[in-house]
Amino acid sequence: MTSDDQPLLEVEDLTTTFSTDDGTLTAVDGIDFDVETGETVCIVGESGSGKTVATESITKIIKTPPGHIEGTVRYKGRDLLSLPESELRQIRGNEIAHIFQNPQEAMNHCYTVGWQITEALQIHRDVSDEEARAKAVDLMDRVGIANASSRFDDYPHEFSGGQKQRVMIAMALVGDPDLLIADEPTTALDVTVQAQILRLLDDLQDEFDMGVLFVTHDLGVVAEIADRIVVMYAGKVMERGDVLDIFDRPAHPYTQQLLECLPEFGGTGGGIPGTLPDPHDPPDGCRFAPRCEYAEEACRTGEQPEEVEVAPDQQVSCVHYGPGGNPSIVRSEGHGPGDGATGGDSEVGPADD
Amino acid sequence: MTEPLLSVRDLKKHYPIRKGLFNRQVGAARAVDGISFDIEQGETLGLVGESGCGKSTAANSVIHLEEPTAGEVIFNGNGREGATRNTDGTHPNDVTKFDDGELMEFRRGAQMIFQDPSSSFDPRMPIGNAVGELLKVHGMSDRHRRRAIVEDLLERVGLSANDFDRYPHEFSGGQKQRIALARALVLNPDLIIADEPVSALDVSIQAEILSLIDDLQEEFGLSLLFISHDMSVIRQICDRVAVMYLGEIVEIGPVEEIFTNPQHPYTEALLSSIPTPDPRAELGGIELRGTVPSPTNPPSGCRFHTRCHKVIQPEGVDIDQGDWRGLLNFREKVITGEIDIEQVRENVAGGGTEPTDSEVRAEVRREFDISETVDDPDLEETLSEAMNLLLEDNAEMAGEFLSEEITTPCAETEPGTTVHAPDHESACLRHESRAAAEPNPADD
Amino acid sequence: MATKKSEEFDQVDWNEISRSGRFDLSINSIGMLVTTLPLVLLAVYDWQFLGERTPTFQFVGVDRGLESVDFFFIFTLLLAFWFLVLPLYQNPRMTRYYWKEFKQNRPAVVSLVWLGVVFVGGIVGPIVMDPPQQELLIAYQPPVFTSVVDTTPATCVGEVMNGRCYGTWEHPLGTTNAGKDVFTMIVYGMTISMQIAFITTTIVATIGISFGTLSAYAGGWVDEIMMRFVDIILSFPTFLMFLLILYIYGGGLGMFIVVFSLFAWGGTARYVRSKSLSISEEEFIKSSRISGASTYHVIRGHVVPNVASSIITQLTLLIPGFLLFEAQLAFLGIGDSTVPSWGQLISAGRSDLSFAPWIVLAPGIVLFLTILAFNFLGDALLDALNPEAEAENT
Repeated sequence: MTSDDQPLLEVEDLTTTFSTDDGTLTAVDGIDFDVETGETVCIVGESGSGKTVATESITKIIKTPPGHIEGTVRYKGRDLLSLPESELRQIRGNEIAHIFQNPQEAMNHCYTVGWQITEALQIHRDVSDEEARAKAVDLMDRVGIANASSRFDDYPHEFSGGQKQRVMIAMALVGDPDLLIADEPTTALDVTVQAQILRLLDDLQDEFDMGVLFVTHDLGVVAEIADRIVVMYAGKVMERGDVLDIFDRPAHPYTQQLLECLPEFGGTGGGIPGTLPDPHDPPDGCRFAPRCEYAEEACRTGEQPEEVEVAPDQQVSCVHYGPGGNPSIVRSEGHGPGDGATGGDSEVGPADD
Repeated sequence: MTEPLLSVRDLKKHYPIRKGLFNRQVGAARAVDGISFDIEQGETLGLVGESGCGKSTAANSVIHLEEPTAGEVIFNGNGREGATRNTDGTHPNDVTKFDDGELMEFRRGAQMIFQDPSSSFDPRMPIGNAVGELLKVHGMSDRHRRRAIVEDLLERVGLSANDFDRYPHEFSGGQKQRIALARALVLNPDLIIADEPVSALDVSIQAEILSLIDDLQEEFGLSLLFISHDMSVIRQICDRVAVMYLGEIVEIGPVEEIFTNPQHPYTEALLSSIPTPDPRAELGGIELRGTVPSPTNPPSGCRFHTRCHKVIQPEGVDIDQGDWRGLLNFREKVITGEIDIEQVRENVAGGGTEPTDSEVRAEVRREFDISETVDDPDLEETLSEAMNLLLEDNAEMAGEFLSEEITTPCAETEPGTTVHAPDHESACLRHESRAAAEPNPADD
Repeated sequence: MATKKSEEFDQVDWNEISRSGRFDLSINSIGMLVTTLPLVLLAVYDWQFLGERTPTFQFVGVDRGLESVDFFFIFTLLLAFWFLVLPLYQNPRMTRYYWKEFKQNRPAVVSLVWLGVVFVGGIVGPIVMDPPQQELLIAYQPPVFTSVVDTTPATCVGEVMNGRCYGTWEHPLGTTNAGKDVFTMIVYGMTISMQIAFITTTIVATIGISFGTLSAYAGGWVDEIMMRFVDIILSFPTFLMFLLILYIYGGGLGMFIVVFSLFAWGGTARYVRSKSLSISEEEFIKSSRISGASTYHVIRGHVVPNVASSIITQLTLLIPGFLLFEAQLAFLGIGDSTVPSWGQLISAGRSDLSFAPWIVLAPGIVLFLTILAFNFLGDALLDALNPEAEAENT
């Protein structure tokens, strides 16, 4: 376990680029965030925002080259990016586990489910076949697969999508991970199954006392499970902070517009006009400026604005909150901290005073 | 006009299951098993349910992509309004009985949008040709005229006329769905069936596409059959909703009614599984366990009874609903032989000493969420008797015993439909018994 | 006539658009028909009105004959032009995209250049160059820049210094034991190789695609029977069959091509069938069907183009097999010795390997490079012709 004053995972200035035929593509551009033991941090963003690349850069599962990762990723005080591959392998899948969006593709269809779990187990633990089997059955049982022992020898195609995702979670748990990175684990599933999986992850987090880094584009899911949020856009962090603060008082225009896509927030529909910028050639200034209704000249020059703390533990990267900016342009001041987010009147929008 | 644009009556689609050397039919997967609904001019009907409930099959059967096994699909668009039934009971507008020429005409009246933007366009065909293909198929041989129409339409769905010559891989998912809309619109249909058109898209793009659909619907007076598993999407776009479970419609009604006053337990469960964007709300509500049973051998009686949290207790029994659900699950597992008492023993032992029988019993109760003692002495006795049999390794006897002793009306009687309010119907035994008791059901 | 101004989809009067006169051919099909017609006429003329030994173009004073293989070769060239090259020109966006993908593979670009040289050489060479003549006096001339002991050639065409005969530009790759110019023979061999490549590919693709799609779309017992037939084709001892035919009827290049390609389409048909089945599950096929398109239209318009582009790779990789097989047969001496193929050249030089290695090495290297080039090309095409796979990766 980590000491109290040190986060489980600390990501600083993480930058991931890919060399392609059309030049260098910057997928993640200098992002910071951290995850504490036992908490759930959600990375939210549209597809193409770099959220998946960011999580995959943490344990370097990105192919390098063409990928190139810079910055610092401190896990329990050790810088993962400077570790040799052999040591990283010990951490990957063991202390830091991954689950992915599509369980169908993440499984090998030639082997039984039990075999795959025991294999994952035996890579990291020197255990006998019997012990491995017992542990695998136990894990399958814990992730809610009924009759784990009889399903042990079934093949992946004999499992439904939700059950496969449960098996993937069981495989992720073999090393008693301290950090679980879940990349859109419920996006491919039905809502009812999604609810089951979210509940399972919640239970397991308590049971294993894990930090969870959860990637999703669905703010509904975020609200259900997150303790803190990192809002990403075009490779940059727009805003981060406590889930309640961000849902009650989203500071960045992008966060506000994301929330407005939800009908519960009085969304009128229409989404966010425009598309993500070309990652080969990102715009100057704030990445969101071309789509932002509050964008001013200052937003379109220089670098992405420095992060400003607008509330305790809530950072936002927006010109209007920085020196010389006027937050009231962006922010509706009408919200009190206790305002329910689902109320019809809690519409987040431009200030009218 | 009182006549609905589309009216589906008792539609069935069964897939034969064949086995053996001579391909003998040994059974059928009843993907769609007798559904009925109407769609009015300009109305949007949502069809919602988990994957495997048959909603996509229903759509394919309505649009005649697949030949339905039985039932009628009466389409009153294309200037065929006001037809009356023939003397032999058939309807002149029944799509299932259309000849080739009429079917061709029906294609101009009803079109479809698919779920997966990446596979809904031929990767080797410029999207302009893909949209114009429909015009060509329907006899418009003037290439310039086709191009003009498609370019105009591309602009109307928010793209540019220059996109005509571009290929699908040059577009994002949201743009492809816009093109799919253009393709569905190009023949100027009265009805569009949208099969999960936004579930592969990001939330922000979903909102864009939904509002585009909404605008186009208003502009052209389209009717929409909107299929989705996502209740929150349904709420944004639909006027009425039909909730499907295992090939049947369990509840149908106006969208606000369904959301505020759901009658069928399955609808309730679906609604409570939508993640609410309120960080203060607890994860919770009704947990729907397991998955949709196989349509080859659907549960008897009400098809939802195997997963229902409100499953009815028989006359004279009144125990905790959770215990009752647990008992039924236990019974089910014992009958199907899925419970492995040895495994339970191992689990309890955890490599240590041999567990006592009472520890095993407690473990079984824990697994099925049954409390230490069930409120009803008879049932309690049945349960311990069954567990005795199981502990003696006599699973078969235990199964027979349980199937006799524990029964629920839900497994025996097929529910009829109950009308709760104008236009709001559901099929649940709980309402039927109440309706029988009080002939004038109040819906609050 | 409907309104001619700004066309809008909701103003089309569908009842007015007549369903007659829908039979319109694409420019490609028209071009194909127009160009095939003279070819067929010429072939009929050659076959019916000219004697066995009379050259085809005697009536214009050109002393050159066309044989059935040549006619068929020209036909496949026309096919390739109208249905492969012209579509690439008609769809510049797609072509640019393919090219962008393709050119990333450097070896494949080099291979393409090499195959281009072989192709052009094979077509133009025999027209501008006279066939190699037997001249025993100048047998065993060494290639340019090399030398042999001056006793090897009968007379040395080039300089003789210090008892060694040096090669000249007159015979850049030397001459054979019969004094034939090796370079000329290699160029004539290019024609043979290109004929083998184009004709076999056309036969295999035609049978494979029709058989495969038909099987996939018929389904049921038709499918079952067709696929069992493919099994038979695949397990047929083609080589023995060829030997048998050779002994009974005697074999030429045409016979070789026909026999081997008639028994080589099994794998292609199987691949096409599975590919068509998976394509017909795609949503764009459903969408085309609910547009009212006929099954023929769906297959012709969507299934075949998508299948074709993915079997191009497979076909490209089939060609080296044929070329090698022809060379092997020639080397063993059971080929047609009148055909100036590379294999025949290698075969002719095999006994002189110790003192005149160029006779074997020159065609051997050319053959090797050509086969390698086809393999590289097939590999690169697999990546380039798959836009959807690429789209998923980005």
